[in-house]
Amino acid sequence: MASIGTIAPSSLSRKDLLWQIVWDKERCAFCGRCTAVCPVHAIELGVFRKRLLQVAAGMETQPSNVYQVFYGIRQKTDPAYSCIGCGTCTLVCPNDCIIPIRNDEIDKLRFHINRGGQPRRRGGRRNVPEGILDRIKFVRISMLTDPALDAGRHEFELRTILGRVLPPEETLKLYKEEGWSPPVREIYPLIIGSMSFGALSPTMWEGLQMGVAYLNEELGMPVRMCTGEGGCPPRLLRSRFMKYVILQIASGYFGWDEIIHAIPEMKEDPCAVEIKYGQGAKPGDGGLLMWYKVNKLIAAIRGVPPGVSLPSPPTHQTLYSIEEAVAKMIQSLYMAWGFRVPVYPKISGTSTALAVLNNLTRNPYAAGLAIDGEDGGTGAAYNVSMDHMGHPIASNIRECYLNLVKVGKQNEIPLFAAGGIGKRGNLAANAAALIMLGASGVQIGKYIMQAAAGCVGSETDRCNICNIGLCPKGITSQDPRIYRRLDPEKVAERVVDVFLSFDTELKKIVAPLGRSTSLPIGMSDALGIDDYHAAERLQIKYVV
Amino acid sequence: MESEQWVKIEGIIGGYRVDSRILEERIQEAVASGARFIEVYAAGQHGIGGRLWRAKDENVYVRVIGSPGQRLGAMGFPNTTIEVMGPVSDDVGWLNAGATIIVHGNATNGAGNAMAQGKIYIAGNIGARGMTMTKHNPRFAPPELWVLGSVGDYFAEFMAGGIAVICGYQPQDPENVLGYRPCVGMVGGKIFFRGPHKGYSLPDAKLVPIDDESWIWLIENLKLFLENIKKPDLFDVLAKRSDWQLIAARSPMEKVLLPRKSMHEFRMVVWEKELGKGGLIGDLVTFDQSPIPIITTGFLRRYVPVWENRKYQPPCEASCPTGIPVRDRWQLIREGRIDEAVDLALAYTPFPATVCGYLCPNLCMKGCTRTAQGVAPVDTTILGKASLSAKPPKLPPITGGKVAVIGGGPAGISVAWQLRLKGHEPVIYDMRSELGGKLTEVIPPSRIPQEVLDAELDRVRKLIPHVHLQQKLSKEEFERLKLDYDFVIIATGAQKPRMLPVPGIERAISARDFLRRSRSNDISPGEKVVIIGAGNVGCDVATEAFRLGAKDITLIDIQEPASFGKERKEAEAIGAKFLWPRFTKAISEKGVELSSGELLEADTVVVAIGDQPELENIPDTVAKDRGFVKVNEYYQTTDPKIFAIGDVVKLGLLTEAIGAGRIAAEAIDEILKGKRPRRDVRMVIERGRIKSEYFDPRLAPGVPLERCANACASCGSCRDCGICITICPQGAISKVEGLKGSFEMAVDGEKCIGCGFCAGACPCGIWNLVENDPIE
Repeated sequence: MASIGTIAPSSLSRKDLLWQIVWDKERCAFCGRCTAVCPVHAIELGVFRKRLLQVAAGMETQPSNVYQVFYGIRQKTDPAYSCIGCGTCTLVCPNDCIIPIRNDEIDKLRFHINRGGQPRRRGGRRNVPEGILDRIKFVRISMLTDPALDAGRHEFELRTILGRVLPPEETLKLYKEEGWSPPVREIYPLIIGSMSFGALSPTMWEGLQMGVAYLNEELGMPVRMCTGEGGCPPRLLRSRFMKYVILQIASGYFGWDEIIHAIPEMKEDPCAVEIKYGQGAKPGDGGLLMWYKVNKLIAAIRGVPPGVSLPSPPTHQTLYSIEEAVAKMIQSLYMAWGFRVPVYPKISGTSTALAVLNNLTRNPYAAGLAIDGEDGGTGAAYNVSMDHMGHPIASNIRECYLNLVKVGKQNEIPLFAAGGIGKRGNLAANAAALIMLGASGVQIGKYIMQAAAGCVGSETDRCNICNIGLCPKGITSQDPRIYRRLDPEKVAERVVDVFLSFDTELKKIVAPLGRSTSLPIGMSDALGIDDYHAAERLQIKYVV
Repeated sequence: MESEQWVKIEGIIGGYRVDSRILEERIQEAVASGARFIEVYAAGQHGIGGRLWRAKDENVYVRVIGSPGQRLGAMGFPNTTIEVMGPVSDDVGWLNAGATIIVHGNATNGAGNAMAQGKIYIAGNIGARGMTMTKHNPRFAPPELWVLGSVGDYFAEFMAGGIAVICGYQPQDPENVLGYRPCVGMVGGKIFFRGPHKGYSLPDAKLVPIDDESWIWLIENLKLFLENIKKPDLFDVLAKRSDWQLIAARSPMEKVLLPRKSMHEFRMVVWEKELGKGGLIGDLVTFDQSPIPIITTGFLRRYVPVWENRKYQPPCEASCPTGIPVRDRWQLIREGRIDEAVDLALAYTPFPATVCGYLCPNLCMKGCTRTAQGVAPVDTTILGKASLSAKPPKLPPITGGKVAVIGGGPAGISVAWQLRLKGHEPVIYDMRSELGGKLTEVIPPSRIPQEVLDAELDRVRKLIPHVHLQQKLSKEEFERLKLDYDFVIIATGAQKPRMLPVPGIERAISARDFLRRSRSNDISPGEKVVIIGAGNVGCDVATEAFRLGAKDITLIDIQEPASFGKERKEAEAIGAKFLWPRFTKAISEKGVELSSGELLEADTVVVAIGDQPELENIPDTVAKDRGFVKVNEYYQTTDPKIFAIGDVVKLGLLTEAIGAGRIAAEAIDEILKGKRPRRDVRMVIERGRIKSEYFDPRLAPGVPLERCANACASCGSCRDCGICITICPQGAISKVEGLKGSFEMAVDGEKCIGCGFCAGACPCGIWNLVENDPIE
């Protein structure tokens, strides 16, 4: 909108905005769909005045002015209503006449999203499109050196182990002396990572769970999904589908009293329990589910009254050291299901990951370690945490794995990698690279949101409003008017598509390596990269 | 075969195995030299019997005794028949291009791999990957593989053509004659088989009925096969049609994914069966969870339009201290109700012509939305001047309280006027013989025609009784008034001029005295006049001094002069100089001495730095603050029976004094009715909601009144222009007529999609788009 009065420091023009709405007056049918659907009201019907000067050729009559009023779709320039580039307007436009275009330079908006001294907060992902995972190649192609396999016709057993595998002598000793050995689960190596019921909409969450159940029961793929912190619907807790679920416990412990009450009625043990200590997207920061997302439903599942904000502190408040943290939390959660359910911690990618891992190796109850790298996504965080904090997953996983190799425990304590896997669409390649660097499996979040529900987020600051409950696709909203846009059945179908196609792609990668019955965990001689220093750091081949 | 001339070729000579290359050369040489019956004593040599093209159209028979190596008959030609008297190694008939190969024993892996023509007859079982990657070239007959027993695993992988016949006679695995995972990637050809199987690749192949033509082909060729392997007796055992089945490749169009449940079916029969109806959260929500379209209407709209007619104050009314609803007056004019528009003013002020028309800086116009949007505001002075002829409203009978108003200036008259309109009985006490205060006392006649002022004062005089005081009220008299009346209102103004504490101040005259005397031409200022204080009063002094003959007029101030508007312009027009910052040190006979040492010569020095109230005789129960009476938002002092308005509270504009009178009168009225006083709580409409784009920016509104009325955007009050009805893409808005010509715009929620076009287009800012009520 034109500034005709005074200008303020935050008076921006369209030129200053990150996303600029391009609208075609000629094609517009003024149907109102774009303004009705815009999640943030960035566009509105505008009234415009046009001036025509009428000067007769030959100047035989007096020149005159004619003013005409016309209408158009106008973009607001108030930072509070700036376009997020989600493109929902484009999606609903019947005449293809509106589209947000990204600014051709660094936008000025970013310097003003801190009104009242509140720095920018958002959801989504790190706005850094590049990543090392896409640069890793699989350079060991065993045509004749190993029996080459055919991804299409050979049978593959792409499974991984979640749980502690002690050396045989220790297992026997434990079993003899205590009649117990650590529980292990054989699961599919691609896990749907922790996204809470609350961060995700009910339809999205149900769609994911339904897809997972289908994969297990109709296709025999032991896919698992982690609940995230936010509890678990009572019906799921009491169903046989529980075995496909990894329950997460985090610093807010939301929903855990409901889980405890359900234990006596559970038909199946959960797959595992993940203790969240950190999250890749916002390392060292807690979570906050804003009061307006805490409706009756969320409140019931989390075991709180509706309409209150739910903070998860950055740390578990009763843990003071690694030793204590690990021992206390892992023991407590093992006890919940009579030591039948594997329990493992999840940390954010960090240069201190080795310290955590070393501690876990000394604890026979630790069922694994999940590390969430800097490229992980989140429902809500400070922009600065998302863009600038955290550790890349590749080198973090690699150093942990190599350390396990050093102490001879690489087959004993599985590592799970997360954070930015498939962020540019190369899910299987990224997953395979991490597996060959040493991960026993990978967790995905953003990828499944994009592939299974049509999340429009990108690493170029598109959309990113998961935090305000207005997700245009209904993925992260608690408003039925929005989340009912998402059909759980269709989400479930897409989950199945994703896992089937991932499965084929993973086979296409591992078959030429001659692997079909075990994942090539740590098979780093198959990896190469065209960056010498990266190759050195990851201890893989430098190839040009 | 009488003429058979058998050439024997040894695979072992002198105890040494003959190299495959040598054996091949010997066979080829033999054929080239005319041999057509060759007996090879094989010892593991590769590729025996293939490639015998040198015999051209003549048939060549190769009999293999011993142990042939891999790829027997590889690249075999149609002229060739190879008969292996025992078992054969891997890849028999590899890339066979027409040879007939008869094996009297088992064959190992890869039998017939990649063959395109010819026939392979195996009198036993075969190993893994038989009949794989075989093709049918339409130029030739399809290749055939006949197996008497069973086949190994991965049979017919990528089979692209040809016919395989598995007789299932004495199979290696009696449970499964086709082996594990046959037909993966099969795209062409067919497989006759006899006996049990354990599945084949369903996406690639299908079981089809054996039609008569196929059956005839099968038994005819079965006979031939059995003859070739010298087991014709088995024909009767094998030629039972019901024992046989046929697998054919699916065509590209028939390729299917593994048949599996649809997700919908899964949801209904598995998911909800386990979890209960409604799935995961069916027990926790009561409302519908089914999918909805992205564009919704009715209850499912995220936003709904609201017709907020007259909910907000227009900026003109909000910026008028008197609170005159200017917008509504223009609206009445647009509706042709000019008299009502004019008369309306008297409900708010006793001086619409004097103040709105002449003396007021017209804050309404400064606040006008048009001003804020860079175009000329609607001119209220026209409306003000027209109000001279306004008829006072019908007076209610006096039924209310008695109120003493001390001071007959604009504030006092205003409060008395308002009280009288509400049926109370006000009495004005004033020192002067005529009402008017500042209006009649100090405002220069140049600023307002005397007849206008007189007319409006006449109107007041007819309504309000006036007690002419001979002297200032004493404290005791004040207390008596308090007893005699329900309320006492102090509206004495600021009578006492502020003077500077500088030497020679006695030589100067106050602005107030100067103006009072100038009105009656009772002063002659001389040629040179210096005015200390360059505010609007100073400007009035300057213009009056000029009228009275002054030539050289200077206004000084310690800061940038605060004067503005007409006063300032007129002072500048008569050539008055404005100097600042200037600090007065003393006033001498010659004029004003400044702290800089400069002397401003003057015949007359006027001090115009403001007036202050006289508070001496006001009761102690009334708190004061820095020389003024302290009041609350209703102008009530700390003594609840005493109100104070006008300059005695805070120096201000005429309109502010008049507005204070109105607010105080309303509060007193409410209190007298036993209520708690209330202020107007309406907010001012946001400027952005008004669309000035509908107006011609070059066209300054002016006379006649109708033109002004049309230029008013009618902020916050519906003009009934019909734009919303027209622009709504869903046709959801309609006008609903009410009683007495009233109307409202109504939205059909079942049509509306909440696009906000109505709000975007509404010239007056009536429509608002608000969030729909939350669901649970």
